[in-house]
Amino acid sequence: MAMSSSQVPVTVLTGYLGAGKTTLLNRILSEQHGKKYAVIVNEFGELGVDNDLVVNADEEVFEMNNGCICCTVRGDLIRIIEGLMKRKQKFDGILVETTGLADPGPVAQTFFTDDDVKARTRLDAIITVVDAKHFLGQLEQGDEAQEQVAFADVILLNKTDLVSEDELKKVEGKIKAINPYARIHKTEKSKIELDAILDKGAFDLKRILEFEPDFLEHGHDHDHEEEVKSLSFTSDRPVDPDKFQKWMGALLQLRGPDIFRSKGILAIDGAPKRYVYQGVHMMMDADWGQPWKDGETRSSKLVFIGRNLDGENLKRGFEDCLK
Amino acid sequence: MKLDLGNPDWRQTLPPSRSVAADAPVVACAFSRDGKIAAFALGDGGVRLLPADIKEQAPAAGEPVHQGAVLSLIADPTGDGFLSGGDDGRLLRLAADGSASEITHQKGKWIDKLAAHRDKGLAAASVGKMALVIDKAGEIREFGPHQSTVAAIDFSKDGSRIACAHYGGITVWSIGQVSLPPRRFAWAGSHVALKWSTDGKFIATGTQENDIHVWRIAQATDMRMQGYPAKVKSLSWSADARWLYTSSQPVFTAWPFAGKGPEGKPPLQFGDEGAGLISVVAAHPSAEFVAGGYDSGELQLGDIKTRRSVVLKMSDGSAISGLAWSPDGFHLAVGNDNGDMLVIDLRR
Repeated sequence: MAMSSSQVPVTVLTGYLGAGKTTLLNRILSEQHGKKYAVIVNEFGELGVDNDLVVNADEEVFEMNNGCICCTVRGDLIRIIEGLMKRKQKFDGILVETTGLADPGPVAQTFFTDDDVKARTRLDAIITVVDAKHFLGQLEQGDEAQEQVAFADVILLNKTDLVSEDELKKVEGKIKAINPYARIHKTEKSKIELDAILDKGAFDLKRILEFEPDFLEHGHDHDHEEEVKSLSFTSDRPVDPDKFQKWMGALLQLRGPDIFRSKGILAIDGAPKRYVYQGVHMMMDADWGQPWKDGETRSSKLVFIGRNLDGENLKRGFEDCLK
Repeated sequence: MKLDLGNPDWRQTLPPSRSVAADAPVVACAFSRDGKIAAFALGDGGVRLLPADIKEQAPAAGEPVHQGAVLSLIADPTGDGFLSGGDDGRLLRLAADGSASEITHQKGKWIDKLAAHRDKGLAAASVGKMALVIDKAGEIREFGPHQSTVAAIDFSKDGSRIACAHYGGITVWSIGQVSLPPRRFAWAGSHVALKWSTDGKFIATGTQENDIHVWRIAQATDMRMQGYPAKVKSLSWSADARWLYTSSQPVFTAWPFAGKGPEGKPPLQFGDEGAGLISVVAAHPSAEFVAGGYDSGELQLGDIKTRRSVVLKMSDGSAISGLAWSPDGFHLAVGNDNGDMLVIDLRR
């Protein structure tokens, strides 16, 4: 039999209650794309999901017993993915719907932590559906709405038909203040071309560079009152790899719970290739990326998205790693 | 019982076997109580039955009995067939001829793990956060809910209790005395495998953090074994309860439980280093042998007395996913991720 060794892409759908996750899910499943998806839905799913391979999940968030407090995984996902992989019938992707109040962190970390999950699947992207009408109100109600936006690779700014131009601008501004690196798609009734959201490779280190145009964009007006926000740092001076490792290791150890996501492209002193890395809380993945071209400006860039980030401190830390 | 691993024949030739291919991964395998049939649970919902006698004609594969994948398979403790659990939520009793009857259907849930106690004729199944115990009469008793999904389940030696592994430790229930509160043994983290020792004194678990945890039940003391490069999903106690065999090492790895126990001692590691890591380990039902299937597809037979091992199957790149001894210890059933099903005859 033909056993595919390639990893199955996993797309995570988050978003507040009523934002339109299930509508998006059903849209993905009903579209005539000829692809087969396994769907992992939460037990509090709002509407029925129409698919022959739906698994109910309990959202069991497990702390790893390794002394790292933010090191949490979704135990149910590990078990379900292992079970799904036993099936004869393979699928083109797995869609994971989280509850409206879920923290996307443990889901993302599962794909960094568990060797069996890593061997068989890859996290493709976190899609967050935002309810344009209620988002600002939801921000007041707790941390979930902003965390879901902070974690996102792709944001569906949904229900745009229910708000005025001005309101929409305000919501979009707020989203960008939290996370300027996610691609925002404005939608009504979660209607979107699937190419825009599936198979994006947002967690693929090799593709971090493809995100460069957005990724290296400067000049967002940050609202500095924001509790959850993103910060980026750039430099044309080469990075000392030992110092960087030490600093980043200590930083994530200490501040990991507050750093939701981090990404970086580094010009390591004397190295012919870019060094790319990304992290979710304390977990980090790193690899060599594309080689630098002759005459190209070797600039490094770091991005942090998190809560209560100390910009001055981070800036100093990064600068101490430069030659 | 004589399996002479020192015999040059054993080292130079592979033992006779029957090999049949399915086009879905093997999930688990088991021998029937009478040892006459080897069964292989498959990812397409089928359970393939093959005669243990490798010369006997194998019947054709039947229709799948489960709708999705079979998740677990054990010998029926009350007959000469099998019990199977699936991701279709059904727990089935399969007769020796392959015909299926439903014991329970838990809609929307998975029948994840199964265990049996042969003398008492009891079977146990994990279903979400609950554990079910099915007695000879087919009556189902429920235990739980546990604090998280039950990841593994096993009976005590005397069949009076069941142990369930979950997040945060294990829970031990007295089957006959429903009014008795369960005993909980806590250890932080998620426990993904569990085996009660063959003398009833210890319960071992494998954890999400690649450790092994073992509790002494009477004293409620515990110990932790570290240093594995992967999760230990397969545990097997030797028939005399002197050794706990563990997967996830390139050689046979056994923790000594005779005398004062393993505290402060290294595990005994023996045999030839195989390709990859052991993915499934199964102690012989009565003697000092152990079978280990590797994630590379290699299969070895080890003898803890002489500390030798021989290769029973070469690596082929497809991880061994199921391994079972016949009750008399003369046959092995072996399955892999590729759907290859093997019955090996060790009598020479």
